[in-house]
Amino acid sequence: MGYFLIRRIFWAIFLFFVATIVTYLIFFVIPSDPAKLIAGRNANAQDVARVARFYHLNIPVWQQYWIFLWNLIHKGSLGTSYITRQSVRWMIGQDAPVTASLVFGGAVFWLSLSIPIGILSALRPRSLMDRASMTFVLIGISAHPVWIGLILSFAIGYKLHLTPIAGYCNFFTGNAGASCSGPIQWAYHMILPWIVFMILFAALYVRLIRANVMETMSEDYVRTARAKGASERRVMIQHVLRNSMLPIVTILGMDIGLALGGAIFTEQIFNLPGLGRQIIQSYSVFDLPVIAGVICFATMAVIVFNFIVDVAYAFLDPRIRLT
Amino acid sequence: MRKKHVLSLLLLTTGVALLVAATTVAAAGSATSRPGTVASTKAHKGGVLRIDQSSTDFDTVDPGLAYVTNDWAMLYTTQMLLVNFPEKNGQAGSELYPEAATSFPTVSNSGLTYTFHIRPGLKFSDGSPVTAAAYQRAWERNLSPKMGSPYGVNDQFQKVIAGGEAFLAGKTQHISGITAKGLTLTFHLTHPNPTFVSYLSMQWFGAVKPNMPYTTTGENVYPSAGPYYIASRDPGKTLVLKRNPYYKGNRPANPDEIVFTSNTNQDQSLLETKAGQTDMDMSQVPPTAAATLGTPNAPGGQFHVGPTACVIYALLNTARAPTNSLAVRKALNWGIDRPALLRLLGKYAGQRTDQILVPGIPGYKPYKIYAWNGANATKAKQIGGSALTNAPALNVIHSTSPAGVSGAQQMEFNLKQMGLKYNDVPTPGTVYYNTIETKGTSYNIARAGWCADYFDPFDYINVLLDGRSIQANNNTDMSYLNAPALNKQMDAAAALSGKARAEAYASLDLTVMKDYAPWVPYEIESARFYTSKRVGNWIYSTYFGEPDFNALTVG
Amino acid sequence: MALLEVKDLQTSFRTDDGVVKAVSGVSFELDRGRTLGVVGESGSGKSVTFLSVMGLVEKRNSIVSGSVMFDGRELLGASTSELRKIRGSRIGMIFQDPMTSLNPVKRIGWQLEETVLLHNDVTRKEARKRAIDLLKEVEIPRADQRVDDYPHQFSGGMRQRVMIAMALINNPEVVIADEPTTALDVTTQAQILKLMQRLQEEHEMAIVMITHDLGVVAELADDVLVMYGGRVVEQAKVDDLFVKPEMPYTWGLLGSLPRPNVITTRLEQIPGQPPSLLHPPSGCAFHPRCEFVMNECRVELPELRPSTVGENHEFRCHLDEEARARIWARKRAAMMAEDAA
Repeated sequence: MGYFLIRRIFWAIFLFFVATIVTYLIFFVIPSDPAKLIAGRNANAQDVARVARFYHLNIPVWQQYWIFLWNLIHKGSLGTSYITRQSVRWMIGQDAPVTASLVFGGAVFWLSLSIPIGILSALRPRSLMDRASMTFVLIGISAHPVWIGLILSFAIGYKLHLTPIAGYCNFFTGNAGASCSGPIQWAYHMILPWIVFMILFAALYVRLIRANVMETMSEDYVRTARAKGASERRVMIQHVLRNSMLPIVTILGMDIGLALGGAIFTEQIFNLPGLGRQIIQSYSVFDLPVIAGVICFATMAVIVFNFIVDVAYAFLDPRIRLT
Repeated sequence: MRKKHVLSLLLLTTGVALLVAATTVAAAGSATSRPGTVASTKAHKGGVLRIDQSSTDFDTVDPGLAYVTNDWAMLYTTQMLLVNFPEKNGQAGSELYPEAATSFPTVSNSGLTYTFHIRPGLKFSDGSPVTAAAYQRAWERNLSPKMGSPYGVNDQFQKVIAGGEAFLAGKTQHISGITAKGLTLTFHLTHPNPTFVSYLSMQWFGAVKPNMPYTTTGENVYPSAGPYYIASRDPGKTLVLKRNPYYKGNRPANPDEIVFTSNTNQDQSLLETKAGQTDMDMSQVPPTAAATLGTPNAPGGQFHVGPTACVIYALLNTARAPTNSLAVRKALNWGIDRPALLRLLGKYAGQRTDQILVPGIPGYKPYKIYAWNGANATKAKQIGGSALTNAPALNVIHSTSPAGVSGAQQMEFNLKQMGLKYNDVPTPGTVYYNTIETKGTSYNIARAGWCADYFDPFDYINVLLDGRSIQANNNTDMSYLNAPALNKQMDAAAALSGKARAEAYASLDLTVMKDYAPWVPYEIESARFYTSKRVGNWIYSTYFGEPDFNALTVG
Repeated sequence: MALLEVKDLQTSFRTDDGVVKAVSGVSFELDRGRTLGVVGESGSGKSVTFLSVMGLVEKRNSIVSGSVMFDGRELLGASTSELRKIRGSRIGMIFQDPMTSLNPVKRIGWQLEETVLLHNDVTRKEARKRAIDLLKEVEIPRADQRVDDYPHQFSGGMRQRVMIAMALINNPEVVIADEPTTALDVTTQAQILKLMQRLQEEHEMAIVMITHDLGVVAELADDVLVMYGGRVVEQAKVDDLFVKPEMPYTWGLLGSLPRPNVITTRLEQIPGQPPSLLHPPSGCAFHPRCEFVMNECRVELPELRPSTVGENHEFRCHLDEEARARIWARKRAAMMAEDAA
């Protein structure tokens, strides 16, 4: 376990460097001049130079990167936004819970739909249900989250008035200026975004679970369990499910990174003030500190989550030893 | 097109001209004691006005740092300026009146000293009085090195006001050129500047508490003296304005509260407006939806279309063959299909035009000298003659955005009709302007737009067409036109004021298009808003390109 | 009456390519305490026969017909709950690959206890005690500790012992062992077989030993069933079979037996491939590989007919008595000559 941890931590540090360096490089490979963007279109050369000085944009890339690292390690600071001049750490602190609500809530939604459907269609391959779920899969895989989101909010929010069209409410009450807050309003506003995630991912997971369950059902130890006289129900619950869920855990761990990407679209459509929307906004104005900060945070989040998944996997599968 | 644009100080200070010149000066004479009048005295008061701001947020709400129009449109409701624009539709909305000042200032004979008297009894939203020191502080926050305002603010104003440069350099505690004694505020300028009063209508120079701190991150919540104050601010997400209980002026303050929700999705915001879940999107409606929203500006209607000071045009590079030929440029003005280009932008996107200036600008005199109802390839070939038939291929540069691509395709189709060859040069949006703003660029045709930073023809003609401004990069004269005769005429026009100025620019507008044709202008952009059923008293400011939020009513 | 009596068992599977007839009319009897060896190549239908007996073939895409009488009760068509009462309790099963036949995520003890708890009204504690006893019985050292290990912590031979313990834990009357030693090395094979023999004596159970190895049959079995292409091609008491095997396939099996005195670089194999069950050969299924094939063999399936040697010794072959006697005598002489050399 100790060795595993150390290896993981080194790997995390390595990934962190790669992600942030790539972020910095991309910014300087793309031909753009942040100072000029900040200074505005009519700025003259002196204005641009002054802006560059103010934001340390006049020094070489590697020095800028060094300042970024130094501030991060020394002060735990991710810098301040070029545009809003707010602390990036504070901005991420504001945005991360929104994205977390979306991704984890979405995961709960898609798993709670896909596990039962996946199992049922594995038990009855080629049944009506199996075919219906296949259609659902095709829609889920082919459709873009923006399209799904717009259709849902038009149909369910605008036409049927069942949910809000868009918007976000804080889970915790007491945020001045927020028009709504509290767990109920929070969940009420998150339903459609969660459903979008459900449609996007449930489809894939239904097939994945179906395939895994079917594969597991043909395992020798399942036949052993039947030969012992165990009921079908018991065979499913005690012998098939846990084994067929093992690969799902790994894939879920990997998909959290993917889901962060999906959050970009979903947050845009539903006006959710999360990290995905933040990074798009920041990208459109080349707000490097915010982009670097969000990427840095997302990298760490994915690494931490993968670590959790690895540990969870070890608990679920005794064959895996964390060495 | 820039959605947000910089209110250019460079131009304010270097432009000999200015501002509202015709109107302000006239107003100064006749309306010294006229307070700002409320547009609709019967306006319904109360309620919460909910405004979405799709795809963007206020960069900052600190008046010392704010510099883009959306910031300013919001600050208009919270700020008390020395001189301000009234909440009125149309031309009346761009005539300054003394707001916090009892009257327009007395100017010393030298033209260097301006003295304002602040109305007694004005209060900030925390109940403290507004004195001359409030305006002194506003200037100092703008120029303080501790604010680090990067926006080209400092480089300009410190030269206008005496002691400004020493203050910016951190050598003095205060700007020596500004004295505040009780309710008397005096500005000492370095040079006579007939446009100084109009500077004071900018949101930078509204009253702030004399102890409002210097900060590089900007203040989010602070007392203000206008009809509203910022009650809470969550950057990137929301801004809540509440009525200033101590405001005793005549400006409307109709909603109890104004809630801005930022960074929304434009399509969703429209849907929410229709469903009554929000009241409007200050980033306008999606272009594709405009056709479905009914008749604009109907009495009591929800769809509002107002003109902006933005002109959209195809730039022609006069420094590169074949667009270096006047015949070719004129031919293009006949051969490019203006209505078709407009149609690409959705309904009510704007009005077609073939001139430089836009309505509302002094000197705007409508004319039609080129193809108005669609492409006229025959006429184009006739005008272009051999220059057209022998022309090498044109480089049509465009950004890779959908609008950039479709606009370029339309123009390329017209080029083909005229028998011209072309190269399609797609360019990422991030470098598009960089490319065409660099001297020696290889484009022939490029789409561009320009919005007025202030209401003066100087901001269009001199800024965009004076060839003496051409530098290595960051050019504003992107057609690289440098005609000495024209430059001379521009100088002459800029030196004038009042009616003569307007006439001089009207004639220049025509001369440029008739004798130089450096652009193919095709659209005067409109701003399109859709409001919920409960919104009333629509007052639109061409200056901000937004309604006056404090004047709107709900319920 | 025999403990297990199978009559005309037929099992077919529906596949995407067509119907596969895996078992065609298999009949046999098994008495208490006896050992039945079932011999055949892969795909001969020997495993499917016993999975059909246990009701363990997938119902959805299979058809099973005939009759399976266990202790006087018909198992074919019996309800699942009735079958479940018999499985693991009165009939135990041991499968071929001990590496994959135990659930990898459950402790050994849990899996043994499950078998006890499924059929007996006892506490988990008692079940655990029974599990440890059985592990001791199958000679697993430190059984009381190893009971809490996971399958991957055991070697292959040890796992097969666990499988055996699991099959025996409820004192079944029949244990069906499906190639229990195939996946093991030779030394371990011998240990496992010895263990099974010992346990059979102690528990007084009948064993069905499914194998492709006649050597195992020779060592353990009382009766032998030789299967080929889903059919029984010869059945006999083990001694009778070795005295007078009656058909070419059995001769081939005997010829491929490794013999201690014969040093050959390769064992005699039966040339050719096992028959396709999807498109079985016409006539006698063995004819494409038979060195004594006659025209008749290609057309007509030989009936099971009694042998002159032994009681209940039956076989399928078109060769006449004289030819079979001559060929077997020659083959046996050749083998003996090799043995002697």
